[in-house]
Parts: sequence; structure tokens; C-alpha cells
Amino acid sequence: MTDQLSQAELVRQSLKRRYRKEWRFRTYGILAIGVAILALVILFTDIISKGYTGFLKTTVTLEVPLDPELMYLDDPTDPEQIRMADFVAPLQQALLNELPTAEKGDRRELGRLMNSYAANQLRDQLQANPDWLGTTRTMTFLANTDVEVYVKHKDDEAYSIKLSDQQQRWVDELVDRGVVESSFNDVFFSSGDSRDPSNAGIAGAIVGSLLTMLVTLCLSFPIGVAAAIYLEEFAPQNRWTDFIEVNINNLAAVPSIIFGLLGLAVFINLFGMPRSVPMVGGLVLTLMTLPTIIISSRASIKSVPPSIREAAEGIGASKMQVVLHHVLPLALPGMLTGSIIGMAQALGETAPLLLIGMVAFIVDVPGGFFESATVMPVQIFLWAGSPELAFIERASAAIMVLLAFLISMNALAIWLRKRLERRW
Amino acid sequence: MKKEKDDVYGDHISHQFNDDLSALKSDFLKMGGMVEEQLNNAVIALIDSDGNLADEVRAKDKVVDRLEIELDEEATRIIARRQPAARDLRLVISVIKMVADLERVGDEAKKIAKFALSLAAEGQAPRGYVEVRHIANLVSVMLNDALDAFARLDSEQALRIMKEDKRVDEEYQAATRTLVTFMMEDARNISRCMSVMWVLRALERVGDHACNLAEHVIFMVKGEDVRHTPVEEAEKIVGR
Amino acid sequence: MNTMNPNIVNETATTETRAVSAADTDISHADNGYGETVGKPFTDNPKFALRDVEVYYGDTQAIKGISLDIRKNQVISFIGPSGCGKSTFLRCLNRMNDSIDSCRVKGRLELDGQDIYDRKRDVVELRARVGMVFQKPNPFPKSIYDNVAYGPRIHGLANRKSELDDIVENSLKKAGLWAEVKDRLDSPGTGLSGGQQQRLCIARAIAVSPEVVLMDEPCSALDPIATARIEELISELSESYTIIIVTHSMQQAARVSHRTAYFHLGHLIEVNETNKVFTSPQHELTESYITGRFG
Repeated sequence: MTDQLSQAELVRQSLKRRYRKEWRFRTYGILAIGVAILALVILFTDIISKGYTGFLKTTVTLEVPLDPELMYLDDPTDPEQIRMADFVAPLQQALLNELPTAEKGDRRELGRLMNSYAANQLRDQLQANPDWLGTTRTMTFLANTDVEVYVKHKDDEAYSIKLSDQQQRWVDELVDRGVVESSFNDVFFSSGDSRDPSNAGIAGAIVGSLLTMLVTLCLSFPIGVAAAIYLEEFAPQNRWTDFIEVNINNLAAVPSIIFGLLGLAVFINLFGMPRSVPMVGGLVLTLMTLPTIIISSRASIKSVPPSIREAAEGIGASKMQVVLHHVLPLALPGMLTGSIIGMAQALGETAPLLLIGMVAFIVDVPGGFFESATVMPVQIFLWAGSPELAFIERASAAIMVLLAFLISMNALAIWLRKRLERRW
Repeated sequence: MKKEKDDVYGDHISHQFNDDLSALKSDFLKMGGMVEEQLNNAVIALIDSDGNLADEVRAKDKVVDRLEIELDEEATRIIARRQPAARDLRLVISVIKMVADLERVGDEAKKIAKFALSLAAEGQAPRGYVEVRHIANLVSVMLNDALDAFARLDSEQALRIMKEDKRVDEEYQAATRTLVTFMMEDARNISRCMSVMWVLRALERVGDHACNLAEHVIFMVKGEDVRHTPVEEAEKIVGR
Repeated sequence: MNTMNPNIVNETATTETRAVSAADTDISHADNGYGETVGKPFTDNPKFALRDVEVYYGDTQAIKGISLDIRKNQVISFIGPSGCGKSTFLRCLNRMNDSIDSCRVKGRLELDGQDIYDRKRDVVELRARVGMVFQKPNPFPKSIYDNVAYGPRIHGLANRKSELDDIVENSLKKAGLWAEVKDRLDSPGTGLSGGQQQRLCIARAIAVSPEVVLMDEPCSALDPIATARIEELISELSESYTIIIVTHSMQQAARVSHRTAYFHLGHLIEVNETNKVFTSPQHELTESYITGRFG
């Protein structure tokens, strides 16, 4: 009897110890998750607070007097005249008109408020509409980068304002009059890279990324799935398949920059493909994602219960029918998820693309697989390394766009899994 | 089968099953012993004209009846709970049937005791008792041997008992003729001789029951039913 | 897993030594320690005629020379302790062992006088004639209709939708499932209860009109009521199909089968009419197994 009592007492004591241990273990877990969430929150606040201004553009709306005399231009259809004409003068004049405090001698200073492409923009529009000559038109131009920085960040210590005091007063006045204003930055999404931050956009990088991903998807998914099916279902178990399996697993762990070197050596130097094109980028990323896709596809094929296979075989389905009718449909969600995760990884990859020249400064939005292009992470890399402060917010904005792509790809993976997954 | 005979029902994975079967066996042998004693006492009561012993035998028959019911219940329980198969199944089934035979032997003993009482009350010189004693000895040995064969799972002994039954029948017929002679000699003997006839008849039935027991033992051991088969056939089966 | 293995090895080793010692004392044999199969392994006009079947997994021999006839339209059950090779033997009968690389089958296995393991023989055709039902109910993750219709579809047994409908309905009726599922043929087969799933699997197997149905412990995952239904179904099906059933439940074997075969460590020890096996088995090992002395 006493024995039993003392045993119960012992159990009670050990229980206390056990509860304490459990509690401690749980606390560690909660702490770990807390740290992760905190890091994520810091990352996001930092990027969003720095980058949201990247989605805004600063514009100047002016009544531009298209005076032939001012521009030394009689006939906008004559290329010779266009070449010789002065398109800056009307802009300066327009600003002068807006600012009563400015004098004629300030023309040069005023002109600096305008974007360097404003004159080109005016020329293009006039060429398109020759009859505008001699009239006064309301036109909207991008502001100079310095103006943009001043408008957006005049209270921010981190940004150095390059405008003179006089210019700052003018800009303040123009803002008050509603001539200078901020709006959604459509330029960012519609144009390619530029030396001038105000004109720089991510469209080229997005299209480049999409083209590269398209190449990667079209190559790596079928190849990866086919390889996985062969290795899982048809290949005999021998030293060869073991060797292949080990190599695939090793490939998945190879640093991505090695794939870049491989791409450079094989596709560009050996096959003579052009540098910095989505096709080569896609091929390199295919090599990089293939192991991931093969491994995840094999895992999902393996997870198809053998009972289903047996059932089909027992009825008399051939090997091919078993794979096509039963194994593949059941393994597809897993394969797709693995592929999408692999694609997302490829989408965020920079290093191998640097080596095949996709780091070049490319202004135009690429129109095909064999045109020079850059991709989003490389664009971010370029902007983040740029000395111009206005590029920092562009980089942050680009990061947000990239994150949005990644998150939507992962969401797609989850949705596909939920949608296609069948219980057995 | 060189195993220990006792061990034949004893090496199940389930110890409870072992215990159940051995309890069934020992209870059956206990009942067998009691019935044997009943029979011997009844015959002694008859020959010695011992009224008290005869009363005792009649009273004790109730115990035999109760044992029969208990054994039946035990066997039923084993079938329901253990689903015995093969050898175990044959044991249980045979016990159920042999219990009925034993109970009938008990009844015959009771009948003999009843005649012992009435004959003792008449108190005349016993005629035909020599035959009774002779046949009683024969069937008593048969019964004993049958129980022995059951205990030792000895099918050859069981076969000998089956053959022995023929002798009992012959002796019975001889005794009947003797008694008929007595009755013809003196008509006053008729009622007494009739009683003795009934006793002989009862003993002959005991011999039949002993023979049945032997047949069940052969079924238990060999798995072949030898009821209603000629002895030569049974001999072949046992010889296998 | 590794910690488990020694136990398993030990277990089989002890069973083996015990069995061998029992056999040594009882029967005098020449060859393998178990002697010829006792009982009546051979019949006239068999559906399956199996002679000296040996199965190897790599270097281990799982089936050690079994000869057996299986009668048409009868139920025969294979019983025996775990690892005795009864399932392996069953799976030889429709070549389900083919998918295991290391598995080799020797001996002569004939279905209606034709060699099953003939090189020219198409395994698909064989499996259409010899269907199989597995231990765990394994309906495809498709609708009830598609589950049953799958076999007829891949074998091209129905030309029109109405023919296929008839096949599905008849199979489900034979499997005793029609009344329960006729209103929800489009719902997934995996949504049924365990017993219903197993009957669905039986319907799926008989939809291709096989001659033989192999059943590998078909009731081991089911409750007693579902088991009773399957057993009832087996009795009904035995009128038109030859059924070979592997079971761990001796009572089940006793209930459903006409003949019973007892396997022990890759040997076929005894085959006989079920009544005979369960009341008076002839071999000591069979006796020990069915009376619960080992296994």
C-alpha cells in the first residue's frame, strides 16, 4: 500500500517535470516563430516604406506656346528643320509664364526643372501633329529627377536636395499652383530601364522575366516530369539508375552560379547563341530547376499508394495505362507544386544570369526570345547598385513587384494543389 | 505421435484454452469414476441384499445428473468462446456425447439398485446371481477400460472394448436361457427371475454404453466415425 | 526499422526449428523435411494445374515446390501462418509478382491447360481472366461508375454507353452493392464505407467477366458485419467463378471454402475438403495450426 502511494507521488513529481519541459519546448517554438515574423515585418516595412514612392511620378503640366519663331521651325515635316529646331525654348517660356516671380534671365535655371526627355517628347508630339504649330497646347511632362526627389523627399535627411534655393522656391510655387503634381507612376510599368530614374521602368524586366520563365517552364516541366516518370516507373533498379539518382540529388545542391558558367560555356561559347537573351537565360534556369522538379515529381509519384497501382494492374491495365490513368493524375498536384516552387526559385535567380550577360543595360522592352533582355532580380541588382538616390526607391518598388509575383506563384501552387488533389 | 498423451491438448498458445480443455477432461473422468462406483455399488447392493447401499446409489444418481448438465455447459462454453477445431473439436463433441452415455449408465445403476431393494425385501435365496455377478464384472471392466482409453487416448484399447461387447451379448443370452429354465422349473420364481432379468438387461445396456464410449474415443483419436461400422472396418482405421 | 528486423528473424527461426523438430518426430521424409503434400491436392479437370511451383525473391526461396489443382467454380482457401508464402503463391496465379524485379517463378502453372508464364502469353489477357481483390479496399479515386467501368473500358468490352451501363449495373448487382449506390453512381468510390468499398472492388474485378477471382485477405480490414456480407457474396459468386481466397481467419476459411490448403514456410502441407481439414486434419502441422498451437 505504501509502495503504491509513493509510486503515485513519484509519478506526480515526474509529471511536473514533464509539464515544465513541455512548456519550455512550446516557448522555444513560439519564440522562433516570433523571430521569423518579426524579421518578415521589418523586411516588409522597410521595403514598402522606402519603395511606395517608387509607384508615384512627378509631372509638370504646362501651357506650351508652340511658337515657330521661338523654336526656329516653320515646317515640322521637314527632318532637317526638326533637327535644327530648339524644343527647349517653348518649355522655358511656358515655365516663365507660370512663374510671375521669375525673370527672363532665369530661363536656363527654369529649364533645369524639366526632364531631360521633355524636349524630345515635345518634338515627337509636334511631328505627329504638324498642325499644332503656332498654337498653345496643354501638355504634361515628367519632372526632372531632382525636382521629383525634392517634391517627394524634401523633409527626408537621407536624400540630398540638388536644387538651388531659388529653384526650390519655384517648385514650391508650382506645386501650390497645381502645375507640379504627383500621380500613379504608369511610366514605371510601361517603359524599360533608363539612365534617368524618372524615366526608368520595370516593364522591360518583367517581359524579360516572363519570356525567360516561359522558356524554363516549357523545357523543364515536360523534361522533368518525363525523367521522373521514367526513373520511378520504368527504369530498372541497377547501378546506373542509382548513379543517376545520386547525380540528380547533387545537381540540386550545386550553387546556381555554376549553372551560369555552364550556360556561358555551352550555350554561348559552344553553340554560339547571342548573349543576354531570354532564350539562353531560360535554358540556364532550366538546367537549374530540373533537379528540383525531378526530385519533387519523383516524391509525388512515390506517394501514390501502391494499392492503386495494384488495383489497376489487377484488372489488367498495362504499365502505360497504370501510369497515365492512375499514377499521373494522382501525382500531378505534387508535380505542379514542385514545378511552381522551382519556377519561383528561378524567377528570383540572379547569379547565373549575370554570367550570360543579362546584366546589360537594356532600354527597350524585349520583343522576342532572341532579343537582349534583363530580368527583374537583375534589374533590382542594377538599381540597388546605382549611385543615384532616386533609383533606390525604384529598386524597392521593383522588389515589391517581384515579391508580388512570387507570392502569386506560390498562391497558384497552393490553389492548384487544393483544386487537383484527390483523396484516396 | 510420440508426444506425451497428456500434452496433446495442452500446448495451445492460449493457456486459458489449455485449462478449459483439461478441466473438461478431468471433470468427465470424475463423472466416469462416479458412475463406475454407482454401478459397482448397485451390483454389490443387489448381491448382498444391502438395502442401505441401494438407497445410497439411488440418491447419488442426482449428483450424476447434475454433473451431466455441468459438463454439457462446459462443453458449450468452450465451443462458443474458443471455436475449437480438429482434435480439440473432436474432444469436445465426443465429451458431449459420452456424457449422455455415462448418464444412461448411471440410470441403469439406479435401476439395478431399485431391483436390489425389491429383491432384498422378498428375502429369498438368490437365483441367477452368479450370472449377474459374472456379467457385472465383465461390463464393469469394460466401462473402466473405456474411461482408461479416453484418459490415455488409446484407440487400440477402445477397439478391444468394441470386440468385448460381443462376449457380453453372448453371456447375456446364456444367462437369459438359464433364467428361463428357472422360471420353467417353478412358476413361483417367475416374478423374482423377471427382476433378475431386468438387472441383466440393464447390465447388458451398460456394456453397450461402454462400447459407445469406446467408439467415441476412436473418433477422438483417429478422426473417423466408427459407429455403425463393422468391427473389421474399425480395426483397419485404428491400425492406420 | 532496423531494431525490428532481428525480432522478425528470430521469430521465423524459432518457428522453423520448432516445426522441423515436430516434423522430425512425426513423419519420415526423404527430401525437404515436410514430405509430400498430404490430402487430395489433385483433381480431375482442374481450372488451374500447378506443378512444382517455386518462387524466389533474389536468393531466398519463398515457395518450395508446390503442386496443386484448383477445381472450377469452387472456393479454395489458402491458410497458414504469416510468411508461409500463401499470398506469394496467390499472386503467381495472375502474375502480380511480375512487377517485382527480384522475383522469379519456376515450375509449370497452367490455366485451362495453357501455361501462364509462357513468353508469348500476354499478362493483360491473363489478368482479364484472373481478377484480383486485395487486402485493403482500394477503389480508384474516381466515381463509383468509373471504378466499375474502368476494366471494361480498357479491355474494350463495351462499344456503346448503354452496354457499359449494363455491365456496371450487373457487376454492382452481383456484388450486392447496386441497391446501396444506384442513386449516387457519380459520387466518389472512396466515400463509401470500408465494406462497401471492398464490394465495389469485387464489382470492379468481376466487371471484366473473369473466370477466376483471387482474393488476398479480402476481409482483414473489415468489421464482422461487412465480413459476413463479403462471405455471403463469395458463396454466391462461387456458382459462376472459381475463387481462390487467402485468409488469416481459419473460421472464415471454414465458412466459405469448399477446399482448404494449408501452407507452412513455403511448403504446401495439406489440401483437402474443408470439412475434413477442420475436423480431422491429417498432418500434425495443420492440426497444430488450426487448433491454435502456433501461427
